[in-house]
Amino acid sequence: MARHSPVTGRYVTIDVDGFEYKVFYLHNGKGQPLICQHTAGCHNHQWRGLLEDEEITRDYLVIAYDLARHGKSDPPHNVEWWKSEYRLTADHYVNFIVTLCDALELEDPIFMGSSFGGNVALQLALRRPDRFKAVIPVEAAHYAPGFFLDWWRHPHANAAQVCASGVWDLMAPQSPEMDRWLTWHYYTQGSEAFKGDLYFYSVDHDLRDELDRIDARRCPVVMMTGTYDYLTPPEATEDTARQIKGGVYIEMTDIGHFPMSENYPLFRIYLKEALRIIRERTGG
Amino acid sequence: MTSDLKHWANKFKTLTDSDPTIGAMAKYYTCTFMFDMGTAKAIIEMHDGKVKHINTDPQPLDAYDFALRASPGTWREFAKPIPRPMFHGIWAASFREDLKIEGNVLVLMQNLRNFTVQFELLRKSGVPV
Repeated sequence: MARHSPVTGRYVTIDVDGFEYKVFYLHNGKGQPLICQHTAGCHNHQWRGLLEDEEITRDYLVIAYDLARHGKSDPPHNVEWWKSEYRLTADHYVNFIVTLCDALELEDPIFMGSSFGGNVALQLALRRPDRFKAVIPVEAAHYAPGFFLDWWRHPHANAAQVCASGVWDLMAPQSPEMDRWLTWHYYTQGSEAFKGDLYFYSVDHDLRDELDRIDARRCPVVMMTGTYDYLTPPEATEDTARQIKGGVYIEMTDIGHFPMSENYPLFRIYLKEALRIIRERTGG
Repeated sequence: MTSDLKHWANKFKTLTDSDPTIGAMAKYYTCTFMFDMGTAKAIIEMHDGKVKHINTDPQPLDAYDFALRASPGTWREFAKPIPRPMFHGIWAASFREDLKIEGNVLVLMQNLRNFTVQFELLRKSGVPV
């Protein structure tokens, strides 16, 4: 008897700002759409625990996609992408996510992302509060400088290992060893995109003068950060949430920057609380 | 202090040379680095994944590729079985605490996978400060 997972994968082709992307996504569940973005330089297996969470997928349609250039989502098929340096911008990132949600015909989805996925969740709350029921920025802040580094793709070093071990201590030492090494493994696979992703994370994403324009009473913003995250430390996320009208901050104890991937059993406790708050604020 | 340092060096060498995670990718893990703990210093020379030598009495002109320098208190935190947040790795402590990474950082990056594993062996060996 084959031991199949209930999670299935599909491809969908979308056009974003003139780029044609064939996007791969995993999905499982039914009900309220919950669309999930992986971290920079990684792919959708980071959400493997959530995708197979029987309790949550009973009421939520969980979708975890690979951003273009990550995992099984190719770079654009209609341009010679290898002739220019990849640098992800906030405009393109937001357009990608909204176009994907439109293509999948998602009604009032909740968007959740971690790290650079958390930062774009803030961009969505600012730019498209009409399109999302709520956002859950995980390990996010309104400004996160310092990680757009040449080391991520330096030709004299093993980029796969630099990326994977360079993010190793973004994880908490208490997180299960197997899950930390799986996360490390995923990070060996995304080194060509990592630096370009971090252009968005550390450079183009800058909401220092715009937080007062986010209204979490219209589109709830529930932020969550782990105590072992040195890149976006808890005080940075708390500072962001405090400046958003109606923003909520949840501190996650003894977990790091990749909570859904490094320790899902602990993360889901906080996630369930975030979803409860969103239900409370949106009436269901 | 000298005997503490030598005892630590022996223990750190034994832990490194017998670590299966380093052993799984030991070939070419060759570099030399200094741990500057303030009141104690050591230069660790690695060759193909094994500790070739630990110099527990570095002199001013003794060579190394890169150095990690921090206060004794920071090194004591590194050596706890479960370090406090921001003391749980060299990136965390260099971003948020007083750890300085100096010298040829490229060599560190070229060996980052194994160095990161080896550095966490301090949680088992302790530190001589």
